[in-house]
Amino acid sequence: MIQMHAFYVFLGVAGFLVAMFLYTAWSTRHAKDIDYHSAYALRRKLLLLVAAVLVLGLAMTLAKTPYPRDQDVPSQVVFVVGKQFSFGISASPITNEDEYLAATYSTPVQVTAGSLVEFRVTSFDVNHGFSVYSPSNRLIAQTQAMPGYVNRLRIRFREPGRYHVLCLELCGSGHHRMRGVFDVK
Amino acid sequence: MASVANGLYGESEIRKFRRMTVIWGATVLLLLPILALLGYFMRWVQAGAFTQLRPEWFYAVLTLHSLGMVGTWFVGSMAGVSYLLLRYTRPSLAVSRLSYWGTLVGVLLLIVCTLGGLFGTGWYFLYPLPLMSQHVWQPWATFTFFLALAILGVCWTIWTLDILRAIARHYSLSAALGWNYILGREGPEVPPLVLITTVSLIVGVAGFVAAVLVIALFAARALGVNVDPLLMKNLTFFFGHVLVNITMYLGVATVYELLPSYAGRPWKINRVVALAWGAVLFLILFAYFHHLYMDFAQPAWIQKFGQICSYGLAVPAGVVSIFGTLALVYAARMRWTLASTLLFLGIMGWGVGGIAAVIDSTVEVNFHFHNTLWVPAHFHTYYLMGVVLIILGLIDHVGKEISGLEERAARSKLTVALLLIGGYGFLSMFYWAGAHSVPRRYAIYPLEVSQGTLYARIAVGFITVLLLGILLYLWETGKRCLKALAA
Repeated sequence: MIQMHAFYVFLGVAGFLVAMFLYTAWSTRHAKDIDYHSAYALRRKLLLLVAAVLVLGLAMTLAKTPYPRDQDVPSQVVFVVGKQFSFGISASPITNEDEYLAATYSTPVQVTAGSLVEFRVTSFDVNHGFSVYSPSNRLIAQTQAMPGYVNRLRIRFREPGRYHVLCLELCGSGHHRMRGVFDVK
Repeated sequence: MASVANGLYGESEIRKFRRMTVIWGATVLLLLPILALLGYFMRWVQAGAFTQLRPEWFYAVLTLHSLGMVGTWFVGSMAGVSYLLLRYTRPSLAVSRLSYWGTLVGVLLLIVCTLGGLFGTGWYFLYPLPLMSQHVWQPWATFTFFLALAILGVCWTIWTLDILRAIARHYSLSAALGWNYILGREGPEVPPLVLITTVSLIVGVAGFVAAVLVIALFAARALGVNVDPLLMKNLTFFFGHVLVNITMYLGVATVYELLPSYAGRPWKINRVVALAWGAVLFLILFAYFHHLYMDFAQPAWIQKFGQICSYGLAVPAGVVSIFGTLALVYAARMRWTLASTLLFLGIMGWGVGGIAAVIDSTVEVNFHFHNTLWVPAHFHTYYLMGVVLIILGLIDHVGKEISGLEERAARSKLTVALLLIGGYGFLSMFYWAGAHSVPRRYAIYPLEVSQGTLYARIAVGFITVLLLGILLYLWETGKRCLKALAA
């Protein structure tokens, strides 16, 4: 799970930094002069090391962005409209208020596990965050629902079950109760 | 002070400037507990207390807390830097006073529109939410909010320009940006304070221009003109990102200026430091794209460029300054006081928060962290445990310098312990909750993320400890500030 991996990386690196500060503070108990040339040489090495780690991080992650690629063809398209304070989710386009209401109150859309599903997400009013939570309540994917734009979010679901959608962009007083739902078979 | 010897200021002017700085400091110290209590209140609400409270109140308080905190620490860092710059140049006292009164009026209007009018869009008033309130707040509250922003924006822009003007009177642009060091040319010695302030405030002007455009486009929308929401988002996050970052950089600048006097060693500019801050000037302009990663309509190359700039920004500003701090203090004949301890720990907190921010600036990670509690986790780390500690250290330093009142070591140690335990304990719940997909900015946690309630309850305990630390700090440093005001 990527969230916990990120959490442990953070703990490790931040823990190292805190240890450096504690060690430095402790070192002042026995004052001595330092050799600036050695310090500058150490700084050069440290800069190169950090730069190398960050370049490695870029190389490992920049190719894994969630943005849609032209060569991938989704096997199913789902249309999503956010509106204060609910998501309309439908297998057919939602172009007006009536279609939005129908999508909001109809039977949840079903998508197929293992196939590439494209959610075409927009908003009829303000910005919303279309955020997909797995049956075990993990945030697995998200994009913004934005007025005037359609954001294409592609997901290949592995786990069948009921998926909930929460809004993760503050959209007004009912923000915390804005939701949607769909099923993966 | 050196400025008196340099003939930049007369003795009476120096006294007036010191007094103005203490007034700024006292105001910051007054706002800190009030705004902290608003944050405490929000965590109580998320912990399940106040079940009868309308959620509109939560979002209004959220808006006031976030804008209030960002504004308070910005003016705190500006006032601190202005004071320290007296050693080298001559900022205008009149402009500082204008900013003070403008800030008070702006804050008052913000209180009116949030607590009086339930304006609850969050600090970032994302277009077009202020205009679509579902009747929770009225048009007058929206108008008052933008009026407050306009007043604050105008005053802070003038203040920013005045400090740049003051620097320009004594340093050419190339000197102030440290180009002599980069190019290996002879030139005047430039203190790091001048370099970092110049870089920060040039970027700051760009941020304020973006804010003006946002306000103007909102006004245009109110007159019926169509406005592009993606453009608005870019402008809003550019402004917000810049304001928060320059506040931190100004805080770091004060550490460059003050910590050497406690360590008994110099901290001067060299080629690496000048190059580092030169890189900041460029990279910060594009790092803000990481706020828009989840806007898939934004071209993918821009998003990737945003990640590259965000990673890149960590090296010059972060690594160079953190290494510099450690090298300065390592085995030094350090005079550990409340002020120097807070300055030192502030750089540590800035670094810790920066690590979490860099992790979140990875597109792939942000896909799972965006707008979860991981975000307030990292920005509270580099704010609360970073720039806030630095400014508290600075205020204590100035208060002691003017009042001559010495501190009590045991109380200082207790203050630091309470701030660290309470602060990092409170933050740990944000990080843990973010890693467990709990959203930010939720008045009530729905069933899917109900674990957020438990984390909020634990956080409340730590915030209580933190508040005790803040109160003890206020008691001790407040006495020094009051005596300094009377001096």
